[in-house]
Amino acid sequence: MKRLLRSASAAALLGALLCAQAAALLTVTAETDRDSVEINGNLYLTVTVAGDSTSVPEPKLPNMQNFNVYSSGRSQSISIINGKITTSVSFTYILTPRFIGAQTIPAITVSNGKETAATQPISVNVTRASQGSRQSSRPVAQQRPSRAARNAAKKGEQLFLKASVDRRYAYVGQQIDLSIKFYTSVPLSSNPQYVPPSYKDLISEDLPPVRNGETVINGTRYAYSEIKEALFALTPGPAEIGPAKVVAQVPSDEPVDPFDPNFFQKFMSMSGMQGQSMEFNTNSIKLEIKPLPPGAPADFDGAVGEYTIAATADNQDVKAGEAINFSVTVAGSGNLKAVTAPKFPDLPGFKVFDTMSSLDISKEHDVISGKKIFTYILVPRAAGRRAVPPIKFAFFDPKTGSYRELQTAPVSFDVAKGDVNARAVNFSQASAAPVTASGSDIRYVSDESSGSTLPLLAASVLGLPWWVHSVPAVLLLLSFWLSRLNRFKLANPLLFKSRRARGDAARDIGAAEKLISAGNPNEAVSLLYDSFQDYLSDKCGIKVGAFTMKKAADLIKQRFPGVSERSLQEIRELWEALELRHYSPDASGAEGASDLAKKYSLLLEMLEKELK
Amino acid sequence: MRKLLFILLLAAPCAASAYDSGELAEFNDMYRTGRYQEALDGYNKIIAAEPQNPWGYYNAGNALYRLNRIGSAVYDYSKAFLLDPRSQDIRANLDFAMRQTGQRLVPEGAPASLHYLYYFLSYMELKALALLLFWLACLAGAAAFLLDGNRWAPSAGRGALSVVGALLLTLAWLGARQSSPFFDAGVVTKAGGTLMLSGPGDNFKTYASAPEGRLVKILDTGDETYYEIGLAREGIKGWALKSDIDRL
Repeated sequence: MKRLLRSASAAALLGALLCAQAAALLTVTAETDRDSVEINGNLYLTVTVAGDSTSVPEPKLPNMQNFNVYSSGRSQSISIINGKITTSVSFTYILTPRFIGAQTIPAITVSNGKETAATQPISVNVTRASQGSRQSSRPVAQQRPSRAARNAAKKGEQLFLKASVDRRYAYVGQQIDLSIKFYTSVPLSSNPQYVPPSYKDLISEDLPPVRNGETVINGTRYAYSEIKEALFALTPGPAEIGPAKVVAQVPSDEPVDPFDPNFFQKFMSMSGMQGQSMEFNTNSIKLEIKPLPPGAPADFDGAVGEYTIAATADNQDVKAGEAINFSVTVAGSGNLKAVTAPKFPDLPGFKVFDTMSSLDISKEHDVISGKKIFTYILVPRAAGRRAVPPIKFAFFDPKTGSYRELQTAPVSFDVAKGDVNARAVNFSQASAAPVTASGSDIRYVSDESSGSTLPLLAASVLGLPWWVHSVPAVLLLLSFWLSRLNRFKLANPLLFKSRRARGDAARDIGAAEKLISAGNPNEAVSLLYDSFQDYLSDKCGIKVGAFTMKKAADLIKQRFPGVSERSLQEIRELWEALELRHYSPDASGAEGASDLAKKYSLLLEMLEKELK
Repeated sequence: MRKLLFILLLAAPCAASAYDSGELAEFNDMYRTGRYQEALDGYNKIIAAEPQNPWGYYNAGNALYRLNRIGSAVYDYSKAFLLDPRSQDIRANLDFAMRQTGQRLVPEGAPASLHYLYYFLSYMELKALALLLFWLACLAGAAAFLLDGNRWAPSAGRGALSVVGALLLTLAWLGARQSSPFFDAGVVTKAGGTLMLSGPGDNFKTYASAPEGRLVKILDTGDETYYEIGLAREGIKGWALKSDIDRL
C-alpha cells in the first residue's frame, strides 16, 4: 500500500496569523512510495516544495544515518492564475537502507529567508531481504567482471577500485556511461568513503542508486558496489575523467601475540572493531570527443540524442484577447538540459509573451531521457481563423551519425470576437521542471506611443487657467439676475414707466428742436404737447389727457403730495401754452415753439426732483 | 469659448506627437535584446517629453524590474497606474512588483471588482470630471434662469439639478480617493530600504526600517532633508531621508 504523508508548513501558519498578506506562501510535503522496504531494496522519497514566486528553495535534507541518499532529479510546475503565481517543485531522492528495523526519515525543512516550513517525520520499516529478492539481485552479480577487475583479482588483491566507460570515442553531447566499482572480498570495518572523480570538458549526471552485488573473479567471491554516472562532452577534442577515490577501513591481518601487552587492543581490531585505513584510486580515463559533422541544418542548435517534437494548445476555440497556452514538447533521450527552445515563428496575428520551460528527466535503464516543454502565451489580436505554422527542430543522432530534422503539425485556432476584459491568463502544466529565470512574470513592454485620450484630455482641462472655470459661475449669476429683473419688471410696470418718463420726454424735446430747426414749428409744438401729457401720465400712472387741467393738477398733488405750488403753476402755464398753440397753430411762431421747448426742459428738471 | 473647445480637442493629438514614435520601437528593441539600462534611458526621455503618458512609466518600470531595481520599478508602475488605472497590463505589473515586496494592489479581502471601480478613473480624471460637471451644472442652471417662464425652463432646471447630483457624487468619490494608499504617498526606492528615525535628523533613534519598494504615506514634507512617513499596515510612522523616497 502506497503511503502518503503530508505536512503543512508551521511557519506559513504562523505567517498567516501574523500577517494576512503573507499567508501560507511556502509549503513543503514529503512522501515515500512505500512504508516498508527490504534491506537490499530502494525507497523513493519525493519532497514537494510550493511557493508563490517563480523560484522556490531546495529542501535541506537532514543527516540520515540510516539511509544512503541519492538525488534522482526534479520536476517543476508553475501556474499563473489571474496574476497569482504558484510554483511547485518536486525533488526525488532514492534512499537505500543501511540497517534493518523501524527507521525514521527526520523532518525536512525549507526556508526562503523569510519563511520556514517543515514536513513531519516519516517512519519506514526496513526488513530482511527475502530469498526471492536475493535471487533477483544475483543477475547483477553474474555480470562478467571487467578485464581490469580480473587482472586485479589475479594479483590476489582483497580490495580494489575500478573505473570503466562504455565508450572511449563519442560525439559532443553524446551520453557516455561511467561505472566505478569497488570490489572487496573481506568484510569492512565501516562504510567506505567515496570521492567522485573530477572531469575535464565533461559534465556529469548521476545515475542512482548504488548497485550492490556479488561476483566471482578467478575463484574468489567479491562483494561490490557500483556507482554510475552519465557524462556529456562539451567540446570536441581530448577529455579526461580524473581518478575516483575510496577510503575504507580494512581489518588488520597482523598476527596477535597472546603475550603482547597490547593483546586486548589487537584482539578487538581483529574482531572488526578497529581496522587499517586504506585508500584506493582509479586510473584516469582519457576520452576522444569527436566534433559534430559539417552540414548541420539551419534549425540545429546543438541538441544531440534522439528526440521527438509535438505542439499542443490548451484551447483552440478562444476569443480575441484571451490567452492560449501553447506548448512545444521536445521528448527523447539525450542531454535535455542543453536543449534550447526551437525557433518560434513570427505570428503577426498574436501577441506572443515570454516562454517558460519545464524539464522532466527520467534515468531509467541508465539513459538520460525525458521531456522539455516550452510554453508560449499567445493572445490573438483579432477574431478570425488563426494558425501557428509548423515549428522546426533539428538534432544530431549519434547512433546514425547524421542530423535529423523534425517539425510539428500546424495548430489552428478559431478566434471569436473578444470581450474587452477577456484577459485571464492561465497557464499551468501537469508536470515540469526548471523554469528559465528570464522573468516571464511581468508583462512585456508596451508599444503604445501615447496614452489614451481621456488622461490627456483631463490634463488639458486641469491645465486651463483658474479664471476660465469662473466663467460658468459668472454666467449663472448673470442669468439669475436677469431672470429676477425680468420678474420684477413684470410685477411693477408703472414703476418702470415712471423711470422711463424723463428719458422719453428728453428725447421728444430733442426731436421737437430738430423740427423747429427744420422749419416745422407746428409739428414741434404738437410733439411737445403729446410728450408733456405722456410724461405726466407716466409719472401719475394714469392717463391725464382724459382730465381737465385742474383735475389733472389735483391728481398730481394727490399722487405726489410733496410737489410745490410753483411747480403746479408752471405745469398749468405750460399746459395752457401748449394747448393753445396745439389747437391754434397760427398763433405759434418759430420763436414761441423754441421757448416752449426750453420751458418744458426746465420744468422737467424741476419735476424730476419733486415727482418722486 | 469656441477657442477653448478647440484647444481641448487639439490637446490629445498635440501631446501624442511630443516625441518620435520610431524611437519607442528602438527602445523596445533594446529591452527585447536585454540592454535594459539603455532601454531605461530611452524610456526616461519619453517620460520627460510626455509626462502624462502612462506607457513611458510602464516601460521604464519593466526595464527597472529587469535591472533588479524593484523600488524604482514599483514607483514607475505606480505612476503609470495613477495615470491610467484601467490598463490591465499596468495593473498586472504593479501588482506583481508589489507582491515581490510583500504588498498587494488589491487589499486582501477586498472584492477585485470594487477595487477596480474605485480606481476606474484616475485622480486627475476625477478632478477634470468634477470641473466639467461644474461647467455643465452652471450652464444648465443659466439656461433654466434665462428660459424662466418658457416651457423648456422646467426641463433645463431638472437637468441642472441632475448634474449637480452627479457633481456631488464625483466630489464624494474624490474625497474617498484621498484615503487611497497612492494619495500623498511615496515609494522607497533606495536599494535595501530606508531607515525610519524618531525625528528629522540622524541624531534621532532608528526604530524601524521600510523595505525597498514599499509604498508609504507621506505625512509631512516641511523638513528640507526628511519626510515624515507612515506605514499604515504596521501602524507606525517615522522620519526618512527624502533621497530614499520618490514621491508619487
